[in-house]
Amino acid sequence: MLIEAHNVTKAFGAFKAVDDASVTVEEGDILGLIGPNGAGKSTFFNCLTGDLPVTSGRVSFAGHDVTRLPPEARARLGLARTFQVPLTFESMSVLDNATIGALLRHPNARDARARARDVLQRVGLGHVIDAPAKSLGTPGRKRLEIARALASEPKALLLDEAMAGLTPTEVRDAIELVRRIHGDGITIVIVEHLMEVIVSLAQRVVVFHQGREISRGTPREVTSDPKVIEAYLGRRKVRHA
Amino acid sequence: MNRYLFFGALVVLALVYPLLVQGIPVWERMGALVLLAAIGASAWNIVGGYAGQVSVGHAVFFGFGAYAAVVVYTHLGWPPIAGAPLGMLLSVILAAVIGVPTLRLSGHYFSMATIAVGELVRVLSSTSDFLGGAQGLGGPAMPRSVFDLSFLSATPFYYIFLAVLAFLLGLTWWIERARMGFYLRAIKDSERAARALGVSSGRYKLYAYMLSGAFTSLAGSLYLCMFGFVDPESGFGILISVKMVVMAALGGAGNLFGPLVGALILVPLEELSNSYLGGRGAGLTFVVYGAIIVIIARFLPSGLLSLFRPRPSKPAPKSEIASGHAD
Repeated sequence: MLIEAHNVTKAFGAFKAVDDASVTVEEGDILGLIGPNGAGKSTFFNCLTGDLPVTSGRVSFAGHDVTRLPPEARARLGLARTFQVPLTFESMSVLDNATIGALLRHPNARDARARARDVLQRVGLGHVIDAPAKSLGTPGRKRLEIARALASEPKALLLDEAMAGLTPTEVRDAIELVRRIHGDGITIVIVEHLMEVIVSLAQRVVVFHQGREISRGTPREVTSDPKVIEAYLGRRKVRHA
Repeated sequence: MNRYLFFGALVVLALVYPLLVQGIPVWERMGALVLLAAIGASAWNIVGGYAGQVSVGHAVFFGFGAYAAVVVYTHLGWPPIAGAPLGMLLSVILAAVIGVPTLRLSGHYFSMATIAVGELVRVLSSTSDFLGGAQGLGGPAMPRSVFDLSFLSATPFYYIFLAVLAFLLGLTWWIERARMGFYLRAIKDSERAARALGVSSGRYKLYAYMLSGAFTSLAGSLYLCMFGFVDPESGFGILISVKMVVMAALGGAGNLFGPLVGALILVPLEELSNSYLGGRGAGLTFVVYGAIIVIIARFLPSGLLSLFRPRPSKPAPKSEIASGHAD
């Protein structure tokens, strides 16, 4: 088991954004976390990465209890993430952005640069390596987030709405990229509300609604689960023909 | 190639400057003062410029350095320069004590906390008999040996300051290219993203703060050696902190030569306005610094040196990225 979350609860005051969620991710998985807006999936995601401390429950990663560890310590264990709104290092070049990630395993700046160059080629940013990162548009920034995370040579990559704001063509390219990363042996957890993405990528899906897990299974199973349909579309009279 | 020539010419100019102005005490003094200010501002630049943690309380370290130098003379009879390592050591410890709680604060809150600490230390120093109270302390009136660094002209100080500045800029240059430099800039741009990539931001900010404090303290000790006197205002006064910030920001904070450029402009401006306006111009310094802060913040947030940086020659072609494939 690579990632284990046991009975994780995250409360903001009296409001429980995540209520008693337990999720396990095996090595080599692609796990999708879905749910309507405000379902608590991003909050849960941030509890996994350490950006938010849990109110109760336990998180372990690669055999270590990481519940009390800050994000940087989890990153060192091999847990990488991207941000929903890209947090690009604006003052740096594209190459330097990726180099920050590569420095985690390659303390020598020259080695890290070479490693960053490889990763940028792999994710399709090879032609803008020396451009200032702030000149990138949304699709480029999303790719750069992924490149930075990959450069840290993670065991697991957690993608927070990596496809939001992309055009359908860009989404197809991005799905292809995630497949390729998974093919390289990296476990993937993906938060998305684009059903299309989840259906074509994830092997297993966990559905959140109002802070609780309401369904889990293969993409096909959960999309036909009445509870899931109700959460997304609201209650409706089911009329059988 | 052109750049190296230009740079080489500047180094030669810096080396021969005292010969060019020999016999004109005002200009001999000016050279030394520019370098001293550049040392202070370059030290500030490590934490304020590269790491983006804008300390407005660096006078604490400057004052520690100045007082350490004068205290070893007053209480132990040592030459003031012997207090420099002591001041640096104390400043590193002090930086850790101040930094651990305050560096957790972000942006303006950190700046405000450093102002508070700076003012607190200034007030405390003026009530301490050990530090000479509000009157301050003076160094040796007559040189007892060459180690007292008491010279008739400012030229020996010029070369001492030049050596220290060269060492400090060399060290900064090395850090800039090493992992620490990358990490400090990452923390400045987005601390959250840096931490997600495994950067122990708290630890790196603290290292930068301690290193910066140590060299600011050295600037304070050198100041005392040259002027031979320090009181709470000239050691711990907030204007000392503000000057470091403004000089670095004017030239370019987070830029290796930014603080030096800022010092090259501001120190002569201040010295000339003082000598032409005499006592009437005393308050004018504050007005000038205030105006400069407003102008930089509005028109040149990256400092003067950003004007000379080549424009990004290859803006990323956005349409290509959208369909950019690997393989």
